[in-house]
Amino acid sequence: MTPIRRASRALLVGSVLVVLASACAPDSSNLAGDGHDHSSMPVDPARVMGAPDRPIAGPQGAVGQFVVECPFSHALPDDPIVYPGEPGASHMHVFFGNTGADADSTLESLLEDGTTCEQALDTASYWAPALYHDDVMLVPEKSVAYYRAGLDVDPTEVVAFPAGLSMIAGDPAATEPQPTSVVAWSCGSGAARDETPPSCPSGRGLRLDVTFPDCWDGEHLDVAGHREHMRYSTTGQCPSSHPVHVPQLIFSVAYSFSGDPTGLKLASGGVLTGHADFVNSWDQDKLEDEVKYCLQRDVVCGVTSGRVSG
Amino acid sequence: MKLFRSLVGFCVLSVSMIACGSGDDTADTPSTEAPSTDAPATDAPSTDAPTEGVLNVPADYATIQEAVDAAAEGDLILIAPGTYNEAVQVTTDNIVIRGLDRNAVIMDGNFELDNGFRVVGASGVAIENMTAMNYTKNGFFWTGSNSYRGSYLTAWRNGDYGIYAFDSVGGLLEHSYAAGSPDAGFYIGQCFPCDAVIRNVIAEHNGLGYSGTNAGGNLIIVNSVFRNNRAGIVPNSGSYELCYPQRKTTIVGNLVYSNNQPDTPAIDVAILAMGNGILSAGGVQNIIERNRVWDHDKTGIGLVPFLEEDANDAIPSKDAWGTDCATQKQQMPVIPDGPLLWDSQDTEVRGNVLEDNRRADIAVGSAGSNLWELGNCFEGNTFTTSAPLELETLAPCGSPLSETAGDWLAGDLAVITWLVDAETAPPSVDWKIASLPELPQLENMPEAATAPAAPASATPPTVDLAAITVPDKVS
Repeated sequence: MTPIRRASRALLVGSVLVVLASACAPDSSNLAGDGHDHSSMPVDPARVMGAPDRPIAGPQGAVGQFVVECPFSHALPDDPIVYPGEPGASHMHVFFGNTGADADSTLESLLEDGTTCEQALDTASYWAPALYHDDVMLVPEKSVAYYRAGLDVDPTEVVAFPAGLSMIAGDPAATEPQPTSVVAWSCGSGAARDETPPSCPSGRGLRLDVTFPDCWDGEHLDVAGHREHMRYSTTGQCPSSHPVHVPQLIFSVAYSFSGDPTGLKLASGGVLTGHADFVNSWDQDKLEDEVKYCLQRDVVCGVTSGRVSG
Repeated sequence: MKLFRSLVGFCVLSVSMIACGSGDDTADTPSTEAPSTDAPATDAPSTDAPTEGVLNVPADYATIQEAVDAAAEGDLILIAPGTYNEAVQVTTDNIVIRGLDRNAVIMDGNFELDNGFRVVGASGVAIENMTAMNYTKNGFFWTGSNSYRGSYLTAWRNGDYGIYAFDSVGGLLEHSYAAGSPDAGFYIGQCFPCDAVIRNVIAEHNGLGYSGTNAGGNLIIVNSVFRNNRAGIVPNSGSYELCYPQRKTTIVGNLVYSNNQPDTPAIDVAILAMGNGILSAGGVQNIIERNRVWDHDKTGIGLVPFLEEDANDAIPSKDAWGTDCATQKQQMPVIPDGPLLWDSQDTEVRGNVLEDNRRADIAVGSAGSNLWELGNCFEGNTFTTSAPLELETLAPCGSPLSETAGDWLAGDLAVITWLVDAETAPPSVDWKIASLPELPQLENMPEAATAPAAPASATPPTVDLAAITVPDKVS
């Protein structure tokens, strides 16, 4: 992509967002509504947003869901949410789904990009910090995005993410273990959830599982610090400050790495700094269909089994 | 993506409304487009008076989705010949969706759309007499249905399953054909009791002809053909989905042959199961009778364990095998410490006719369990080879098995070596480009234009199993 093309896109989306801005969106043309203000990042963002009541694991098929598998797309030291317009400003990220996501991405550019996802209409961008073993970056195999109603949430209350919603789950600055209901490590498609990477047997690669918040304030696609517009539900309820039930996105990054976890670290720091980012640039009509048909009707629209397909 | 991109401008505008939570739902879905057919323009007046309860596509409705959305219970949607680039969602109970010509009503996903038809939580929906191809997921898919029927369907080159019913009960799949899926051509999964019949179908050039993870209980597969897949009929157990173990599937009167096909798309399980005709992988209480099974590199009929590395729950004890699916869904899983080994148990293999199955015509294997404690029996089969040797002497039906009946280790199947074989098996071929038989011209539903609508029944037809004899060999 040439810078010129980017600029024209930014103008185009900017003009669209002007319409948005008057009603509900921050006055900005990039994905993050806060420009370059990183200083307002909460000290403990996980505490701001809360956490699910418990980790979600076990056989699929009990509650409505849809699932998207997306092979690895690319790695860049960019963060379209936290460092928009600043290529190279971030720690290394691994991107899934949208094939063009970078520091200059806009909603408009993401909607025009391709996707690695098997669901061709999922052009959303998903990313996580790169994982290193003895300072060598591990190329992940794929990601799996599970979309469900949050724990004990009435699924008929759940609506699709608004287009352009940007959010982060997990704490890139964590120095203590995070709740495994938010950030966990596992092996293969197994149900165990650990605070730190386990030693996985050969053939059952390491996975990073990040659970996103499922309550939205109904107003902001993003906010300064990227946290205040989202909360986790508890006992099936969203707080009155964040009354809109959106899908609970559980995002898993699958590696082929197995064996001794000593020497593993994330680009954001140690193995305790697990987090993931999401920008909703799905084909919005398709996302709304999936929420309406699968979540609201509480029907299993797809499952994964860890099986490898050709 | 072409259609999608052309609509981007429109999408952004609608997006701005959605972002503000207007809740406006008037925008047409862009996931469908008008059928590329020579049929009359949709707004042209129809010369025939519309028949009550019959919705014609494209004469009355431009797209199948529009007709489905307009249909009321009991209605019949009739689709004229043409190619339809749609992924149709069905949520209305008791409607019948029928093509006027199975071989000329073509649903085409263009390798971008996910399911030809997805019936979500609706019951009584019957789909008849058409073809679905090139979908990234499934050709025809029912999920969460309490009754379903697929008749005279052709599924060809789809990215997951051909014809698929999940978490659904009360089903009939018949007179249908599925080819070119990396997983199963036909799949019924996660139900007990399933109360379903598969009859008169053909599955070829799939990873698996039939797969039925955790499906059974009055589930009957009869009078069908499974050929030239990686593996033929492969029900299995696993805790990655609910309603385990796989139980009580009855497989009678089928032709199962040459399931060694090396150039199909294939999930890993299909590669592991390659070269087997009928293979129970950790299923229990199945009945396999009067099938004709020939030309397989491994077993004609094999009962083997399923090794599940990433277990999500413990294996239910035998006294819980009667628990229905709805009850099991309410139970909290217990995460096991290690991998699970689902043994095939209490299965009866009787009266089958087998030949030229190179490892063994009939076989039972385990990965450490004592075979005489698994309760599988073999009786009255016509065969040449077995594993272990003298299998019908060791494991007769109708009496308890005994360790002292003979040498259970002689000619052991050594099923664990299949894991090694899988490492060197021909790799999966991309489903989008795998070599397939030409799209066949197949039998049409009788009187498609005039037959009255018959929504799916929750009670599948009664199958007179006793009347079914071993089918004759075909060339």
